[in-house]
Amino acid sequence: MLSAATYAGKAAIRTSNAWLEYFSLALSITGRIFQKKTYNSTAVMVLKNQIYFTAIQVLPLLLTVAVIIGFLLIGIFVQILQGLGLAEYLGRIIMGFVVTELAPFLTVLLLALRSSSAMNAEIATMKVNKELHTLEMFHIDIISYLFLPRVISGVISAVLLSGIFSIVVLAAGFVCSNLIFDMSLDAYANLLLNSAKISDILILLVKCSTFGFFITLIPISSGLNATDDLTSIPVAVLNGMVKVFIAIIVIEVLTLTARSI
Amino acid sequence: MRFFDDQEALDKGLADLQGEIGKQLGMVASNVPLISNLDVWRNIALIYQYHQEASQKNAQAFVMQCLRRYDLEKIAYQRNPMLSEEERFCVKVLRAAMVARAIIVIDRPYTMLPYLKDTTFIYEILGKIEDLFTRCDILDYAQEKNRYGLINDTED
Repeated sequence: MLSAATYAGKAAIRTSNAWLEYFSLALSITGRIFQKKTYNSTAVMVLKNQIYFTAIQVLPLLLTVAVIIGFLLIGIFVQILQGLGLAEYLGRIIMGFVVTELAPFLTVLLLALRSSSAMNAEIATMKVNKELHTLEMFHIDIISYLFLPRVISGVISAVLLSGIFSIVVLAAGFVCSNLIFDMSLDAYANLLLNSAKISDILILLVKCSTFGFFITLIPISSGLNATDDLTSIPVAVLNGMVKVFIAIIVIEVLTLTARSI
Repeated sequence: MRFFDDQEALDKGLADLQGEIGKQLGMVASNVPLISNLDVWRNIALIYQYHQEASQKNAQAFVMQCLRRYDLEKIAYQRNPMLSEEERFCVKVLRAAMVARAIIVIDRPYTMLPYLKDTTFIYEILGKIEDLFTRCDILDYAQEKNRYGLINDTED
């Protein structure tokens, strides 16, 4: 009984410390965003590279997934709604579920699987190889040079890629509704516009930005927890990716709650 | 050159030196490695861009010109694991010289170039870029004095 309480207590302290670390790192990074000297040529170079790695390289995979999911899912929805005689709800389902929930969720999953794991391993390797020590020895601010560009690229990529995913899904929705309901583009656009709410769009933007922030912040923080031992790299990546997954679920639940309110 | 009896004394001496030099410090040491996901030229240019607020284009041109002094332009687009020990040492010295008004500190050079018998190579490397730094200090253990051509002095 006592050992169970001790275990639970230690786990709670560990979790609290981890969240304190994230909070402290998040504050440091956010503080740098508003400092002009942060945006020197080296940080801008890293930012461009990170946007290329995070947002551009993933595009073919993202578009393929969006096309497949779009046609499959919307095709199924359209057929079910037609069968039930609920065709007027098509717009609400596309906007309320596919665009505001599914598109950002799948986008952030792809980004996390591809970029967060890479970032986590990269920072952990730099820590083990003492490359972070090198940057400190040369008085290079690692938050401005290494972390901030990655976080900014994560936020930009999550927002833009979610938008692209949504556009592809909407296009798939038009093709399906045109084939099944013989719906014109005007009617389809009206259906979507009538179903769109400004509050949903705002929550979507905030959600994508928050996703982007945390799927980069958590891997960076986990990477920094690596020790001098090479075997700490896979441990750091594993811990980081589990925390990224938990963060995605928590953000999803919070935004669903916000929307229902 | 500064010599120390053991690692503890050397670490203390190094820490004092770092405090004294501050932002002019250009460190060359085995525990200050090159960044492995950057090419050689980017490793050097990073310090120049960051400290001299240069554009990437200007930094690249300057770094290539510096590499040419060592006849090492051919390694400009290679990464750390591809380099020989001498090439890696040259790149580290060049990187250290990119700090504004650099004071280069070479910590135990023979740990980076263990097969060297004397300092000829090190002085040659430093001599080719002497216009790029203000001063150079070499730190090592007292038992290595003979490799520097010294026998008795504790500090030279």
